[in-house]
Amino acid sequence: MVGIGGEYKPDFEGANRAMLSPIPIFAIRRAGSSEQFRGPRDSPSIAFLDFGDLRAGPVAKFEAARKQFNYSELNGLGDVKAAVELGGFVEYYPVDWFRTRVELREGVVGHNGTVADFSADFIVPVIQRLTISAGPRFTWESTQATSPYFGIDAVQAMTSGLPLFNAKGGAHSYGAGTQVSYRINPQWEVHSYVEYERLLGDAAASPLVTLRGSPNQTTFGIGFSYSFDVKIR
Amino acid sequence: MRSRCVSFATILLVAVSVGGCAMFETGQTKLQAVKTVGIISAVGGELSFATAGLTGLNGNASQSFPIAAWGLDDLIVQQATTALNGRFQVQPVSYNRAAFAAVKDSPVTPVNLVRGDPFKKLVQTEVSPQGLDAYIVITKAKSNFGRGAGKIEGIGFVTYRTVLASYNQIHALYEIRVFDGKTFDVIEKRSAPALDDAVEIRLPGPTRQVDDSYSPGRGEPVRNENLHRAITDLIVRSLSTTLSDMHLADAR
Repeated sequence: MVGIGGEYKPDFEGANRAMLSPIPIFAIRRAGSSEQFRGPRDSPSIAFLDFGDLRAGPVAKFEAARKQFNYSELNGLGDVKAAVELGGFVEYYPVDWFRTRVELREGVVGHNGTVADFSADFIVPVIQRLTISAGPRFTWESTQATSPYFGIDAVQAMTSGLPLFNAKGGAHSYGAGTQVSYRINPQWEVHSYVEYERLLGDAAASPLVTLRGSPNQTTFGIGFSYSFDVKIR
Repeated sequence: MRSRCVSFATILLVAVSVGGCAMFETGQTKLQAVKTVGIISAVGGELSFATAGLTGLNGNASQSFPIAAWGLDDLIVQQATTALNGRFQVQPVSYNRAAFAAVKDSPVTPVNLVRGDPFKKLVQTEVSPQGLDAYIVITKAKSNFGRGAGKIEGIGFVTYRTVLASYNQIHALYEIRVFDGKTFDVIEKRSAPALDDAVEIRLPGPTRQVDDSYSPGRGEPVRNENLHRAITDLIVRSLSTTLSDMHLADAR
């Protein structure tokens, strides 16, 4: 499956301004399998364990670098390197229309912290072509995963004018998301989504957020995709 | 430095191309040497009846009904024999159908990759006579259904419930393997493709939408002639296409 989408999301985590950026859509499925539900916040993953209603496997997430010169709010804070997080996911469907998912990831490049994402989605087919899903979200992050983005050390405080802040880990955010997908025909599908996140704990209390940003983070996305078979002989 | 990178990329590209050609040739060459074949079918013993989409709280439970009386496996062998007879000498074989039908994929995906083809040993031990050039094994295939957790397999009937309506779909998902009669390696393998794109819930195999009169929930499924005819039609139409795609039979 290939496609293209656009995402209107905060400039950086904790920002109060947002920007529209293009996103590629690409997925490969094994011949003989069909597309399963995927939430907008799901990281790329492979199900190594698949009982149908219970699936688990490795997961990976890439977090782009945060460059101070791209946004005036970050002046004096320095850059935060790009991060790669690796870990595992488990998802469980108690019924066909309800999915719960947990991702547990550890930073291996960039930060060395731990991130846990919890989500639940009610998946409601309105008609065969139209599916609506929605549900709550919650994220927990360790201190090592939080402090590079929300902590302000003495040097940063001096150069940015923001007060010193020692960001600790803990409950990071809660929120909700909804997604609508419409299958135009067996090949073409269009989808859109909204994800709202409210920062919690030290992420919300950071002077970067309280003085120059916002704890309310909303992402809008839209995209269309084309599915096709590739026969390899 | 740049020229070395370009050279390396060129060598890699050539190596991959040659490797691909070699793989292509291996399957084709092996098939060219095949004269005698035996056909094994273990698709049509059971019909599953599942619900998906907005199901009740009982989850993804599905029922199975015996439909061996329809003789679908005999039909498959007969149809495949007719399709292959021009090119190969098809010889009757006896086999343990239940053993072939009982094979399941492991839920641990890497195990399936590591353990090799699950039917290889069965072709060696449960089929007679041995010594033919190749054995064509036709067995159930599996797929997800809808957006949720539902999985379907082989021959079945699915009711997909949405907020505004319910839809019924029948399916005959199967895959065909060609085993070398000497080494018992898989020479070719393919799943039966979808027949057309008319259905809303796309499946990677023969399927079509049907009305309630086809439902196995109405009386004994084995006596439902509508259902029997529709499933037979799916198999007959898809089998010749699949065998042609595998270059085992002439395109019709």
